[in-house]
Amino acid sequence: MTVRGARKQLWNAVALLLTVIMAFPVFWMVSTAFKPDDQIFSLTPTWIPLHPTLAHFGAAIHKPYFWADVKNSLIVVSVTVSIAMVLAFLAAVALAKYRFSGRAIFILLIIGIQALPGAGLIIPLYVVLARYHQVNVLSGVIITYMTFVIPFSVYTLRGFILGIPKDLEEAAMVDGSTRLGAFIKILLPLVAPGLVATSVFAFITIWNEYIFARTLLNDGAKQTLTVWLSYFLGTSRNTDWGALMAASTLTAIPVVIFFLIIQRRIAFGLTSGAVRG
Amino acid sequence: MRLRIIAAASIVAVLGVVAATASAGTSRQTANKLTVWLQVDAQSGWPDLVAAANQQFQADHPGWTVDVQYQNWGDHLQKFDATIAANTSPDVIEMGNTEMVKYMAAGAFADISSFKGNFANSANWLAGLAKSGTYGGKLYGVPYYAGSRVVTYRTDLYQKAGIKAAPTSLAQFMTDAKKLAATNAKVKGFSPVYSAGTDWYFAMAFVYDFGGSIATTHAGKWVGSLDSKKSIAGLTAWKNFWQATSKASPTSDENNPAPYNVYSQGTAASIIGPGWFSCCVGNKYKTTTAQFVMPSHTPNKPMPGFLGGSDLAVPAGSSNKALAADWIKDFTSTSNEKGLQAKGNIPNATNLLGTSVNERAAARSWFVPAAKHWVDVENGNILRNMLSEILTGKLTVAQAAQSASANITSVLNQS
Amino acid sequence: MPYLLILPVVLVMAAILGYPLYSLGRLSLQQYGLFELVQHKGKYIGLANFRSVLHDQVFWHTLERTIVFTFANVGLTMVIGVLLGLLLVRVSTWVRIALTSALVLVWSMPQVVAVEVWQWMTNYQNGVISYVLTELHVGDYYHHDWYGSTFSQLSLVTALIVWGAVPFVAITTYAALSQVPRELIEAAEIDGARSWRVFFDVTVPILKPVLLILTSLSILWDFAVFTQPFLLIGQPHLHPGNYLMGVYLYETGYLGTDFGRGAAISVLMLIVVAVLASFWVRRMVKQDPAT
Repeated sequence: MTVRGARKQLWNAVALLLTVIMAFPVFWMVSTAFKPDDQIFSLTPTWIPLHPTLAHFGAAIHKPYFWADVKNSLIVVSVTVSIAMVLAFLAAVALAKYRFSGRAIFILLIIGIQALPGAGLIIPLYVVLARYHQVNVLSGVIITYMTFVIPFSVYTLRGFILGIPKDLEEAAMVDGSTRLGAFIKILLPLVAPGLVATSVFAFITIWNEYIFARTLLNDGAKQTLTVWLSYFLGTSRNTDWGALMAASTLTAIPVVIFFLIIQRRIAFGLTSGAVRG
Repeated sequence: MRLRIIAAASIVAVLGVVAATASAGTSRQTANKLTVWLQVDAQSGWPDLVAAANQQFQADHPGWTVDVQYQNWGDHLQKFDATIAANTSPDVIEMGNTEMVKYMAAGAFADISSFKGNFANSANWLAGLAKSGTYGGKLYGVPYYAGSRVVTYRTDLYQKAGIKAAPTSLAQFMTDAKKLAATNAKVKGFSPVYSAGTDWYFAMAFVYDFGGSIATTHAGKWVGSLDSKKSIAGLTAWKNFWQATSKASPTSDENNPAPYNVYSQGTAASIIGPGWFSCCVGNKYKTTTAQFVMPSHTPNKPMPGFLGGSDLAVPAGSSNKALAADWIKDFTSTSNEKGLQAKGNIPNATNLLGTSVNERAAARSWFVPAAKHWVDVENGNILRNMLSEILTGKLTVAQAAQSASANITSVLNQS
Repeated sequence: MPYLLILPVVLVMAAILGYPLYSLGRLSLQQYGLFELVQHKGKYIGLANFRSVLHDQVFWHTLERTIVFTFANVGLTMVIGVLLGLLLVRVSTWVRIALTSALVLVWSMPQVVAVEVWQWMTNYQNGVISYVLTELHVGDYYHHDWYGSTFSQLSLVTALIVWGAVPFVAITTYAALSQVPRELIEAAEIDGARSWRVFFDVTVPILKPVLLILTSLSILWDFAVFTQPFLLIGQPHLHPGNYLMGVYLYETGYLGTDFGRGAAISVLMLIVVAVLASFWVRRMVKQDPAT
């Protein structure tokens, strides 16, 4: 085996060890979801339940409003991510490619928003949304989430755009067509991995957001899945750990599916970059 | 060119979303809807009682619907604050009885004294509960249900240790605990009586049992009284009891881990907590579980149990106060209260009381000081810190009590 | 042209955050507790809230603790995240898929769930982490109270936050690295450059914009972090000795219903974090757009 080959095996081993360590809590959650109650609380841990039970998943799905809240989460996420990505991409292009007065202020504004302590904003935000009847409706939550997601998307995308080697752009711009339109056409495939990573992050941030969804949505039928999840814990009575872990596993599934669907695009971006280079 | 179209289209899209939803919102206002906030305990524990109340209400008020929105104990007050700010308060809200005073003092609730006669059994409301809903002589909260604290125990382990009957005094209980420890010496981490290190509900019971208190009023000001001789005697008795009977972490609280989970693991012969604990002891010990009343240090008396519970109040911002009071009347009807009793709770009136262990334990109870800022003492974990300092040996009982007392005095006397 | 491009974003931000920001500023100058909330009217008291907070020892101790905490978290997140990103480039495809999947699974866990699982893994009675560490003979962790000391509490919170934050950094780094033309690296390696030199001279400059962004973001988020410390340590175990700024804000402003003071703390937090992040932000603003 060449030095290169041996090195690769070493990295493989390290990566696999890290995979196990990183994923362990996730594994523990899923494993607990399938364990009967006595194994959950037993003093010696059961790694893989030999007699898995689906009772917890049943309990989770039958908790009121599960399917309604899944639908709500999906709507909120897809609308927010789609609109936010478009808006953020446009702003990122402006920041990366143009010099205009007020540029610095715009950047400061965007970063400043990220610096706001969320906890401080909850009540004033609730008050302003209530005034426009945006409380207890999904659109209020959608608009709120756009303000969370857009700032970091803007400058993350800006970073990706800036990171594209100049010669790649120039080489492709021999067309002579209008600058901006062609620029976007060339830019998109190059920035694809960045767009994908950013939209995954946006998806996850929104899917998992709890504090604002909790405050803005009161009706069980209108809430998102994370709020639904919190009801397993809010009672002063018996916390059904098995059902909580099952419910948590269910909540994580759409994110994983979303990533699986788009992760090919990251690979595509990788190979296309090599070809163009 | 194309880009300009995209940019313009997105502006239109954003404005469109806002406009469309703004108009959709107005229809909400006109429906005849009563909004009720109950805790999730009702959703999972007694949804039938909620349904019964809604049915009765809708029969009495045709054209009205009841929207019950379930809340978590952890953040329901923060959500309530938000609705107060935005004038979107619910019409009825369930409050913990220790949470009432702060909000009553701030004028957050409507005065429902005029409706008192309508509420079932109002003449016989449990004194402890009724007090928590009254402020300045006016009624703001209707007692909903209560719970006391009992000892849930393993009948088989007690039998094996030769304990023939429930202990009738604290001293007797300590002796019994020693027997339990001896017969279960082989079980690692075994607690004869498991209780959390910072379970202040349990610890304060000792304080009140010995005649002490958390705070008292003198000339209109609050004075912390945990440093009184009697309180210190109580705390010392608690410390001795805890160290002899519980293998919990000295910094643990009574929700984490849940005592009944420890019980289900087989490492506790008895646990201290609300009567409904027997629901969740696990399949293995379901048939060998029973309850008895926690004994006082004075023989043949129960130790005072913390009378936890909930009240139902009508926020001042509600536009349907009379209807809200009517819903409360339906929800706290005699039949509903009997239903709550059947689920292991203590009903809100003395004439409804039965003889369950839970209800017998409530014969002697204690409650937190009725101070506006009591919630801040709880949130600041002053009592919990005192208890863990005592148990970890960081401070002596007297030192910890003095520091906590001074702290409580300053917090309760804030403007 | 550029103004048209940024206009949608500016509109959305202004519409949603305009009033809350104004309200926050106004609240910080008022006495506004539960009583005032019910009355919908506060009492103007000028800078009294600020003076009160700045004279409070708790504020200063919490600030100090949070700054240390932030740098520890950001440092660990960035170092581990970038290293993982680099690792992803170097391994076989199937290993890359395994590690990326693990990262995505971690990333996709809601914070509330992650806290519950971590609490469950470190619980006093039968926490699996305690069990594993004892079995591996790292020490005797039977009935180990992971939440017994402030250091232990905050270390666990750090581990939880870093664990949750690393996937984003790792995957973003990997995505950026995939834009680095392989030939540049290979050319440098053929020339005999050692891997560290290749890394610093070729890879880092290309990664720089992304690294700057990730670091600034991490500083901003970790400074104001609230959910993880509040839920993992648990409200019953919070006290001024283990407060972080986000928790301090919530305890004072919300649990204590002193909204005026809470708003003042928010404003102060904003100023502090602006100062902390200014170095990184200035670098970002300076980066010229290509023309």
